[in-house]
Amino acid sequence: MTALADNFRIASNIVQRDIKILFSDSFLVAIMFANFAIDLFVTAATFGRLVPPSSGIPSYFQFIAPGSNFVTCSVAAFQSGRDIWRERYIKDLTSYLLSLPASRRLWSVSRVAGGVARSLIATFPGTLTICYLYGILLDPRILGAFSIVGLFSLGVVGISMAVSAYASSIEVFVTVRSTVQLYFSFFSTLFFSPDVFPSFLRPIVLANPMTWAVEAFRQLSKPGVGLGPASVLVVPSLAFAALGTIVYLYHNQL
Amino acid sequence: MARRDIEVLFRTPWIIISRGLAFIIQLFVFATLISRLVSVSGFFQYYAVGSIISMVASISFIIGYDIFEEAEEGVLDYLLTLPVSRRQFIIGRALGGAIRALIYVTPMFAVVAIIEGFAQPASLAAAMAYLFLLAFGVTGLSITVAVSVRSANRFDVFLALMELAIVRASTALYPISFMPSYVASIAPFSPVSFASNGARSLLLGPGLDLSTLAGLLAFVVVFLGLGAAFYFRKLEGGVYA
Repeated sequence: MTALADNFRIASNIVQRDIKILFSDSFLVAIMFANFAIDLFVTAATFGRLVPPSSGIPSYFQFIAPGSNFVTCSVAAFQSGRDIWRERYIKDLTSYLLSLPASRRLWSVSRVAGGVARSLIATFPGTLTICYLYGILLDPRILGAFSIVGLFSLGVVGISMAVSAYASSIEVFVTVRSTVQLYFSFFSTLFFSPDVFPSFLRPIVLANPMTWAVEAFRQLSKPGVGLGPASVLVVPSLAFAALGTIVYLYHNQL
Repeated sequence: MARRDIEVLFRTPWIIISRGLAFIIQLFVFATLISRLVSVSGFFQYYAVGSIISMVASISFIIGYDIFEEAEEGVLDYLLTLPVSRRQFIIGRALGGAIRALIYVTPMFAVVAIIEGFAQPASLAAAMAYLFLLAFGVTGLSITVAVSVRSANRFDVFLALMELAIVRASTALYPISFMPSYVASIAPFSPVSFASNGARSLLLGPGLDLSTLAGLLAFVVVFLGLGAAFYFRKLEGGVYA
């Protein structure tokens, strides 16, 4: 029991450290929100007026609004991997961190948890904004909204940690991040429903975690909680989180 | 100096690959699919020209990253020992940033010209001149930011935000009549709007639009001047050598 409590205390310290790194420059958090605001109130608002209800989507603005928040979420989640990359290659902190009294497995799992906590904090105002637009701000479904954002960020943090281990330079890391974000944005149902895509692209769209994250969020606007898309999201999120944990662990077995 | 900057960009294949991929996906996936949904006829054509303009702005911003990195890694000190005057050095950097952006987007512009059937050599040349002016001005803006922001993390995200703001709050990717009023009131003053309106006027008709040319020239003069002044101040503490 004492060992469990010790592990929990250490894990919570590691998560706190990651959150403090995020807030070491609150300007960055503000910029992330500014990015989200431009995405939502400029781009999504304009496309919302460009796409009429006769297209089959009653409100295109509401349709694409959750996507703005998930794009911000993936940026915040990738920032975790970037910080780990900086620790390794720029600050040369790996040896010091491994000398701390935490098992490597605990370190690895806690870094993933820290990344998820950071993403939830960075997207907190955005998630509230989208919940307001969906009319669920004062509804228990808001918990579902935060769970979906957390679940999506879990997978992306895993991807970013795996990339940070293999990226030989920051350019490589940034390029992989951009490519993953391109896939998330344009080969998902963020902008279009699946039937709009040509048939050969549909399997790629349906394999995209962003598809299931935005679909799960859209389900929240309907009465009752539909768990279908969210339950599909669990599989890739856990798989990528496991990948990130294992890669981080493997790369720290000096 | 300009040739060195051109070579630096083409020695970083990762940037070329990622931005090239972004262009291809935006044009052949996003623009194709969204043009089936929107209420504007000829939206693909509109978006295709705009995507070239936004790509020019995006590539021109990279010079700021290069200048910031050089200062951090100590390469700037070496560059300053070279036998070129400070004035040549600064103009060379801005010119290099603009020319390499133009070289980078030329194949993409060719793809759009072929798809859309833009065949008037004079219009194409004039549209390229618009692209060059935009690239020159954005290079100046990027240099200004690079020498004004000190933290590496802040610089990275601030430049990305600036790029997002001047492209999204412009007429590059959507017509002004569909923007919410708070965006429509500022969008006409974005340099990206000047360039996209001017280039569209040349390529799709009616022809040369002097007001957009004047706006773009003003942007170039202001930000190239500011960029040069800030850069010079950083190099020499404001004292002309």
